[in-house]
Amino acid sequence: MNQAAPAPKENMGNPIPRVDAGLKVTGQAGYPADLAVANVAYGVLATSNIAKGRISALRLDKARAMPGVLDIVSVGDMDGVDKPKFGNTGASSIGPLHDRTIFHDGQIIALVVAETFEAAEEGAMQISADYTQETPSASFDSAGAEMEPAAGKSPLFKEDVNAGDFEAAYSTAAVKIDQTYSTPTQHHNPIELFSTTAMWQGDKLTIYEPSQNVTGWKIELARQLNIDPVNVRIVSPYIGGAFGSKGPMTARTAIVAVAARRVRRPVRCVVSRMQAFNTQTYRAETRHRIRIGAGKDGRITAFAHEGWEVTSRPDPYVVGGTSATGRMYDYGSVLTRVSLVHADRNTPGYMRSPPETPYVYALENAMDEMAVALGMDPVQFRRINEPQKEPIGGKPFSSRSLINCYDQAAEAFGWSTRDPAVGSMRDGDWLVGMGCATAIYPTAAAPCAARVRLTADGQVRVQCGSHEIGTGVRTVAAQMAAERLGVDIDKVAVEMGDSALPPAPVSGGSISTASVCSAVLKACEAVREKLFVAAAGNDGPLAGSGNAKLDMTNEKVVTETGKSAKLADVFKAMQIGAIEEYAEFAPNGSSPEALKKLYAGQAEFHGGDQDKDSVKYAFGAEFVEVRINSYTREIRVPRMVGAFAAGRIMNTRTARSQLMGGMIWGIGQALHEATEIDQRHARYVNRDLQDYLVPVNADIKAVDVILVPEVDHEVNPAGVKGLGELGNVGTAAAVASAVYHATGRRIRDLPIRIDDLIT
Amino acid sequence: MRINGQVYNLGLDNRTSLLDALRDHVGLTGTKKGCDHGQCGACTVLIDGKRVLSCLSFAVMNEGREVTTVEGLASADDSLHPMQQAFIDNDAFQCGYCTPGQIMSAIGCISEGHAGSEDDIREYMSGNLCRCAAYPNIVAAILQARDEMRRA
Ligand code: FES
Ligand code: FES
Repeated sequence: MNQAAPAPKENMGNPIPRVDAGLKVTGQAGYPADLAVANVAYGVLATSNIAKGRISALRLDKARAMPGVLDIVSVGDMDGVDKPKFGNTGASSIGPLHDRTIFHDGQIIALVVAETFEAAEEGAMQISADYTQETPSASFDSAGAEMEPAAGKSPLFKEDVNAGDFEAAYSTAAVKIDQTYSTPTQHHNPIELFSTTAMWQGDKLTIYEPSQNVTGWKIELARQLNIDPVNVRIVSPYIGGAFGSKGPMTARTAIVAVAARRVRRPVRCVVSRMQAFNTQTYRAETRHRIRIGAGKDGRITAFAHEGWEVTSRPDPYVVGGTSATGRMYDYGSVLTRVSLVHADRNTPGYMRSPPETPYVYALENAMDEMAVALGMDPVQFRRINEPQKEPIGGKPFSSRSLINCYDQAAEAFGWSTRDPAVGSMRDGDWLVGMGCATAIYPTAAAPCAARVRLTADGQVRVQCGSHEIGTGVRTVAAQMAAERLGVDIDKVAVEMGDSALPPAPVSGGSISTASVCSAVLKACEAVREKLFVAAAGNDGPLAGSGNAKLDMTNEKVVTETGKSAKLADVFKAMQIGAIEEYAEFAPNGSSPEALKKLYAGQAEFHGGDQDKDSVKYAFGAEFVEVRINSYTREIRVPRMVGAFAAGRIMNTRTARSQLMGGMIWGIGQALHEATEIDQRHARYVNRDLQDYLVPVNADIKAVDVILVPEVDHEVNPAGVKGLGELGNVGTAAAVASAVYHATGRRIRDLPIRIDDLIT
Repeated sequence: MRINGQVYNLGLDNRTSLLDALRDHVGLTGTKKGCDHGQCGACTVLIDGKRVLSCLSFAVMNEGREVTTVEGLASADDSLHPMQQAFIDNDAFQCGYCTPGQIMSAIGCISEGHAGSEDDIREYMSGNLCRCAAYPNIVAAILQARDEMRRA
């Protein structure tokens, strides 16, 4: 065993290596743009270079004349195609080729299709346009940006909260803070480029595209193209990182499908890194005002969190993270308000812990400030405000191991060695700072279907239209099936990433492991049931074992008393070669239409703050040490420790990797990532991987992940809480806290850069 | 051009990058495109044993050279290269997209003599971005493979 494979503790599964690891290290895993397509033509996008206005003339002649150019799809060529819809499956309502309006910089104005990639690229460069320009609004403070309350604008954000009398409690609080915080624009930048490959066979359309939602896309694409969804298939066997960016379908998919229909051959469009910044979604910049009031004893009596978020002109994209921050601690009173600011930008979208990353950053930075104001240890401050029930609706937590996480992480980190005095810790030229923060992520699940087949030779096939974005969902689904059906994991084959498979929800909101494993579990139970009835039946090999409890292990059906029958013999008695079961899982509290919606590509989420009986969250505590060079102010993070509790851990290896990756994302959010915007032109400036900074190997040293055992039977049948988005929540605040401890500088606007620390 | 020991005679547009030649013309899609601008390392291959970003090299510039891609690492009996095995053992990836580039770069890093310490590895592997952020596991994998390759 090595560090990558932590020994399982209570309620944790084995650190089995990823079932697709061999394919990934040999280059055999087929990402959508890798899949071979005969006679493929290449598509390259041309995009606008203004952010607001109208196209008055589009000049295509030069491009058309380029050798190898086959066709150009541009404004006016979308006849018979419906505009995209903004929502769960659609990234934006902007249909770039449906009319001449330009809503944002880098909007698609044409797709050039050519015999070769080189010819298509050269063709796209020859396209030019004349515009009637208007002055765009770039962001919060731009003239012309429109603000409105977020509540009710999105089904995901219904209302603001006013619980208890905040104003009264705040005005009389002995200790208080009133501060503002901000987070910048960020782009997911998965290393895989975005791409669409479209091919028609008669009226049947197949799309190869990295997707976190193949079923949703099938339905939405069919709607746009006005064709029957049974004729659409989305294939996405491996996804090269997603982080939310491949959740909603963009306008490009239908455009490439139209192009393929026109040129009567398959078309592959791989979007350049630069164009992806404007044609995909991103995390929009946010602002926060937080007021906290507490008694001298440290008990919080008043908490107010106001948030502002940027979105596009037409679409009300909102993250509204006050749902989590408002339930984090035992506040005496809670007031929250979220506002949207519409600007001339492409529509933002989900990015790893969409609400929590910015909102919990602001809350936790404020908590650290409060602890300082109270002269209290920040861990102790959180301990004092640990709630029995969530403070808004008074519901219990289905489980909450936050203090346990703090204890374990603090111990491993050596928190007790920290001298609380600011600037007091030093190592040669380096100022040393230590900080901490809480991580929280709502635990949800959604309806999901799966098909499981067991054959007499012990081979298992699991089919589920979920998505392997790097989380290890294929592996944990295989583990679940292997465990329930008593076979070795090598005998389990898992098929995913295809809308022709049983539908699964969008792989977002950290719901996949819970939803997929619950469906696989249900299908396995049905297989077991059939086998058990046959095995214990009159003609079965275990006839006469009565009502004894049966189980499956080592390719055998076994009784409690130690009798057993080989799988092959049970199948023989049944006179069949295989059992195949199709199961549909719906979480507790699902609406009667929940399963129908699953087939219609809409995931009905349950959990988080939505359930009647309890609220469901996973928690963690993160500790960070920073070192700041006393001359250059260079900031390094030599070590970090995170302890997380997330119900049943299916596989300690994949769980650790996800949490570790999340914590490193948190470093990126704290110190590196920001999409810079030219305010005059509403244009992203650093649209590549050279200038959009992400953590590189040399930025990261020791990252210690502690998996804290937790049992929660309430969340879902698998007992699993999602953890793919937990690790990067809170990290940035822990870094800000450590920077303050080292320097006395309280940085409230991310990212924290050298120039913030130079006197 | 020799690719993974096999001779290919290709007639290519002189604008075609080595990366696109491998992927679109030879059918070796193990080598990945993450930026096409020399900024991510996903396209790293070995040319005459040295690591090169294949997106920054025109295919025609490599006439007569020996190119090794991730598909060419496993031995004839299909057993994995120690670096591939080390990546599996240390869970040095999640989505796996940067992985072929990481593995090729890691092999180059060792043969250049830049894998002496963990700090060296971190520094000399920093041209290979991993957005899933498997970095500590990548360093562990390289240490494991380095020692095995030395013994071999
Ligand atoms: S694709 Fe060559 S460095 Fe990114
Ligand atoms: S494993 Fe996903 S980018 Fe490295």
